[in-house]
Amino acid sequence: MKFQIKRLLSQILIFFSANLGALGFKTGFCYPFFYCNSCPAATSACPLRAIENSVYRGSFKWRLLLFPIVILGFFGVTSGRAVCGWACPIGLLQRGTGKIARKLKKYPLIKKIGNHKIEPYLRYVKYVTLIGLVILTTALIGFMFTDICPVGILTGTIPTLILYPSKFVPNPFFWIAFVIFILFLILIFTVERGWCRYFCPVGAILAPFNKISFLHVSLAPREIFEKECLHCNACLNACPMGIDVINMNRDPECILCGKCINVCPKNLIKFERG
Amino acid sequence: MNKMIVLQISALIIVSGSLGGLLVFTDVYQEVHSGIVSVLCLSCLKLEPKTKTDFTFETAYGEPHPDFVLDNLTKGVVFLHYSEDACPGCDIMYPVIQNLFNITFGKEDMVYKVFSFEDLDVAYFYTNIDHTSEEMENSFPIYDKDHISGLPMFAIITLGYNKDIIRPYYTTVYGTLGLDSDKDRISLLTELMQESIDIYNQNREGYNPDQR
Repeated sequence: MKFQIKRLLSQILIFFSANLGALGFKTGFCYPFFYCNSCPAATSACPLRAIENSVYRGSFKWRLLLFPIVILGFFGVTSGRAVCGWACPIGLLQRGTGKIARKLKKYPLIKKIGNHKIEPYLRYVKYVTLIGLVILTTALIGFMFTDICPVGILTGTIPTLILYPSKFVPNPFFWIAFVIFILFLILIFTVERGWCRYFCPVGAILAPFNKISFLHVSLAPREIFEKECLHCNACLNACPMGIDVINMNRDPECILCGKCINVCPKNLIKFERG
Repeated sequence: MNKMIVLQISALIIVSGSLGGLLVFTDVYQEVHSGIVSVLCLSCLKLEPKTKTDFTFETAYGEPHPDFVLDNLTKGVVFLHYSEDACPGCDIMYPVIQNLFNITFGKEDMVYKVFSFEDLDVAYFYTNIDHTSEEMENSFPIYDKDHISGLPMFAIITLGYNKDIIRPYYTTVYGTLGLDSDKDRISLLTELMQESIDIYNQNREGYNPDQR
């Protein structure tokens, strides 16, 4: 339990660090997670905005394309998708809504949404979002994901409207983005970590790094595991990403939250370096 | 296992080296800082400021008007058009400006044209804030009247009478002007241009650019 409190503290600390722009601290880095540079308190740039900027309407600025990718790559190689579980403010939000999503699972309809047979395929939608909406539509027709991004509404638009209530009016993208934001809310309140699982383009960049990251979650050696595992499914039930923990091997969906490690009664799951 | 370690170390060297190289040998940090973090793309914000067309003598942060504006005010009204690379709002406004002034330009980073509008010269400056001169970049916050720091932004500078001196008098509008159609946008900008030309004609005789 102490371990999860440490993770919560890390998420809270990074949330405040991401908002030091409120004190005038602005950098030229990209966040290694999903957060909007339109937030009045943002310190850094959204990595997706930098990628879009690099390919907008057929232009190609390799530096702006490479910069967010190597920043995400650095964190990806060292710790895989741990930033999703330990740093991302949207992950922190979903940590809160995930508890409600779990409680709502007792309703058959909600349970069906998270366990539908197409659910494993939905996880590929985030790669389609990254390649389709962040790169292709931006490059070909100038339609950018960040113009309709629900995280932008949450962290940029809403705080701006609260801080400056009579200064702004909706622009042509607002209502489309607002509808998507409502769907985003429904998703995260019904499927635990629904945004990370299915749609997050930043997660799509980080996910493949789980295959080679220094830090990862691993199971005890096969012979020990097969002998000692109680098949209690506690790890499976605890995993917020819905991973089949018993059969996983450097799963791209793992956010290294450590919940499976905490609940395993036989301590057969652990963090491993190398 | 050894293969994995080699792969991990290689990947770490590649990403760390690339990141270090980008930071040391390119200006990407500055590009992100000034182009994305400090200047808002109003399309990303999904909001735009309420259009306030009031004219003022005071620059946004009390800084003096730039020389290129003061000099061009001897010829007529000055129209400043600021844009950036990836900005759907800017894309919406290009045809509006081109129709309004009957001018055409391509993907240039900066455009300077003097043309006649309602029988008065207008000095038109277009600038892409991501690729512009220091002078033009510095002029952006000067005319950010409502302290938005967002793009697209348009400033119309004319001459007004203030404290016994004829001085630059300007207004700034942002985004897609809070309007839904190009027709309405052109109509609003035409009204603003006409108003600024009227004020200019009333005050042009007494203008001395050296009297700053």
